[in-house]
Amino acid sequence: MRAYVLSRLAQTALVVFLSLTAVFAMVRLSGDPVLLFMPMDIQAKDVNEFRARLGFNDPLAVQYARFVGGAVRGDFGESLRYQRDALGLVLERLPATFLLAGTALLLTLFVAVPLGIVSAVRRNTLLDHVGTVATVLGQATPGFWLGLMLIYLFSVQLRWLPTGGTGTVAHLIMPSVVLAAFFSARIARLTRSAVLEVLGEEYILTARAKGLGEGRVIGKHTLRNSAIPIVTLAGLEAGQILGGAVITETIFAWPGLGRLTVQALLNRDFPVVLAAVFFISVMYTLVNLVVDLLYGWLDPRIRLR
Amino acid sequence: MRPSRSALVGSLLAVSLLAGPVAAPPVQAQDRARTKEVVIGLGAEPRTMLAVTIVDWTTNNMLEHIYDRLLDRDPKTFKPKPMLAESWRIVNDTTWEFKLRKGVKFHNGEPFTARSVKATIDHALDPASKSHFAAAAYWGLVKEVQVVDDHTVRFLTKQPWPNLIDSASLTNALMMPAKALKDLGPAKLNEKPIGTGPFRFVEWKRDERLVLERNTDYWQGPADVSRVTFRFIPEFSSRMAALLSGEIDIMKDVPPHAVEAVERSGRARLRATVSSRINYLALVNLKPGPMQDARVRRAMNHAVDVEELIKQVLKGRATRMCGPLAPTNVDYAPAECYKHDPARAQALFKEAGIDPTKLSLTLDTPSGRYPLDKDVSLAIAAQLQRLGIKVNVVVNEWGTHLDKIKNRNTGDMFFLGWGPALHGQGTIQPLFLHDQTYSSYGNNPVLNERIARASTLLDPRARAEAYAELQRLVRDEAPWVFLWQQHDLYGVAGHVEWTPRADEKVWMYEARVAAR
Repeated sequence: MRAYVLSRLAQTALVVFLSLTAVFAMVRLSGDPVLLFMPMDIQAKDVNEFRARLGFNDPLAVQYARFVGGAVRGDFGESLRYQRDALGLVLERLPATFLLAGTALLLTLFVAVPLGIVSAVRRNTLLDHVGTVATVLGQATPGFWLGLMLIYLFSVQLRWLPTGGTGTVAHLIMPSVVLAAFFSARIARLTRSAVLEVLGEEYILTARAKGLGEGRVIGKHTLRNSAIPIVTLAGLEAGQILGGAVITETIFAWPGLGRLTVQALLNRDFPVVLAAVFFISVMYTLVNLVVDLLYGWLDPRIRLR
Repeated sequence: MRPSRSALVGSLLAVSLLAGPVAAPPVQAQDRARTKEVVIGLGAEPRTMLAVTIVDWTTNNMLEHIYDRLLDRDPKTFKPKPMLAESWRIVNDTTWEFKLRKGVKFHNGEPFTARSVKATIDHALDPASKSHFAAAAYWGLVKEVQVVDDHTVRFLTKQPWPNLIDSASLTNALMMPAKALKDLGPAKLNEKPIGTGPFRFVEWKRDERLVLERNTDYWQGPADVSRVTFRFIPEFSSRMAALLSGEIDIMKDVPPHAVEAVERSGRARLRATVSSRINYLALVNLKPGPMQDARVRRAMNHAVDVEELIKQVLKGRATRMCGPLAPTNVDYAPAECYKHDPARAQALFKEAGIDPTKLSLTLDTPSGRYPLDKDVSLAIAAQLQRLGIKVNVVVNEWGTHLDKIKNRNTGDMFFLGWGPALHGQGTIQPLFLHDQTYSSYGNNPVLNERIARASTLLDPRARAEAYAELQRLVRDEAPWVFLWQQHDLYGVAGHVEWTPRADEKVWMYEARVAAR
């Protein structure tokens, strides 16, 4: 077990390194980073001076070596746009990102899994149909539209909730609901089909035959056996929510990592892009490691080596 | 932000507003009216809290609430007027002297003196500060700042530099405290900025808000507004919702199609102003092609119907320009407009030996950077089509657009905005000389010589004459299809009395809060 975790951590390091290298190459292809943060009436001579001072005139290999050298020491350089430590800018956004992602994920699991189970158990009843329609709607509704409609209803008309920003629990409600809506739909649909599949298994028939109550049949025998695909999807989505809540963050003016990353990309603020990619890839691989460890716990037949 | 999406969402919001009842003013806005607080919704946050570091109009607009400038600009005539400096004089061709106001104190109690001016400019010019203001277009022409006495300071320049006076009146000259800069260092001042301005720094929550409070000891007397909060809301629809729900009191950049929704809300009114930011269609002569010929460029000016573009595409929210400078520019001189005249255009094309029906041109445009930029470009293409000219419109992401202009990789024409364009040199020199980063036109010996001369004339009358001549020359050379000054549209809550300015400055020292 320990050897497994260690080897997976080594793999994580490799994945992070490779994704940073890929992103480094890609951002360098996107164009001149200097123009976008310099004033427009600047003269060519001054632009060149800035480019030389920042090392963008060096051969790409030299720039890459310098980047790797800094990155292993946790130094991603200074943001071109803000003239501040890039890693610091990213770290500042993490609490807000974790808060939003965590709430959305909990919301997803507490709504979607029960919804999926009920739909499966009460298959072809009105409840199931309502659930199916709701999940299709949830998946088909664009996040920005849902977000703006919620803002219109709850902020502009009813004035119950603030339009955006952070600070109180009230600020958290709309963004996490919007973020959870899309993922809940997918998880609910998957739960429904996974539970349905298990319900057809013979051991469920056995469980029922030996007189177990429906609660135990569903709660213990069915749920645990249908948990693997759900946990897999939840893991993938947790990774996505952590790095990619861009639209939600933008609509609700939420000071998170996704918004910072996209802004940095548009502004070609390479140090910030790389620092953000570093965090996103670390989190993504770690979440997936946790998922793999959960497999072993959920299904003891799975041995992790 | 994609305009197509925001347009859709904006219309949705507008429709729902028309349909739904308008709720009563919210409690929080009434509270703010009583405590005289103002919340301003902006699309982007500042890039630094340090003066003279980053050239970014939005950043420095927030900063000038904290730091004062050497000189102010008159909001009507745009001419420099006293602020931290009470008077100035030209000692000789390369020396300017400023007499400083006495008794002005920084927020930390440190007195404002000639040493503050020297420390600030020295900081900007020090390569270690990595300041944009070290560039030649900003303070790069300053050789030395000399402290004559506590309240007299001299600027020695490397060459005669008439625009020093303009620099001193812009955010190029936000003054920092000398002693604090030395003792605390720039990093600490960046965390907690100290100026002499009408507001003190309270807090900056990244990507969320910047909070300032009134400086009760301000040398011009305390502001009426007790507290200013800049909130950063990137999505315009959310910004508008925040205005309509009473969370913010001033919203910048209301899109033309959302004007009615603001007016009907009952909570806010629309405040519009003609901006000093100009939009133009460059006719590129820095690469081979038909735009090498001045007759073709003039023909283009007669072929494009600017009035129609303003009326149909921008719904009247723009003011036509006939030359390279607008009346909001201190060096402006009137120029005669090119009339929309297809027959004249045809004649000029014929004179140049070009058959417009065989002409195929490429027009590069950004999307969402300037008001309806892409739509304007498409409308221009349609207008040129009437003469049989085929125009291929290429829509670029902003960074790509800048790269193309810099590398001279655009088509025969490109759309661009410039500003706030407040003095002549700042527009004419960077845009009509071939070796400038964003120019589209150059290699004109007469113009080269006149530009070089104008940028060294210290005598105000000689300068005015030189720029008037330059504007005539540029107008006749037709390096652009001259388009317009943008209009800036703001949504302003009922209890805030504030008039927008042409220089895009949201300046809360001038605002009043009326309790209802």
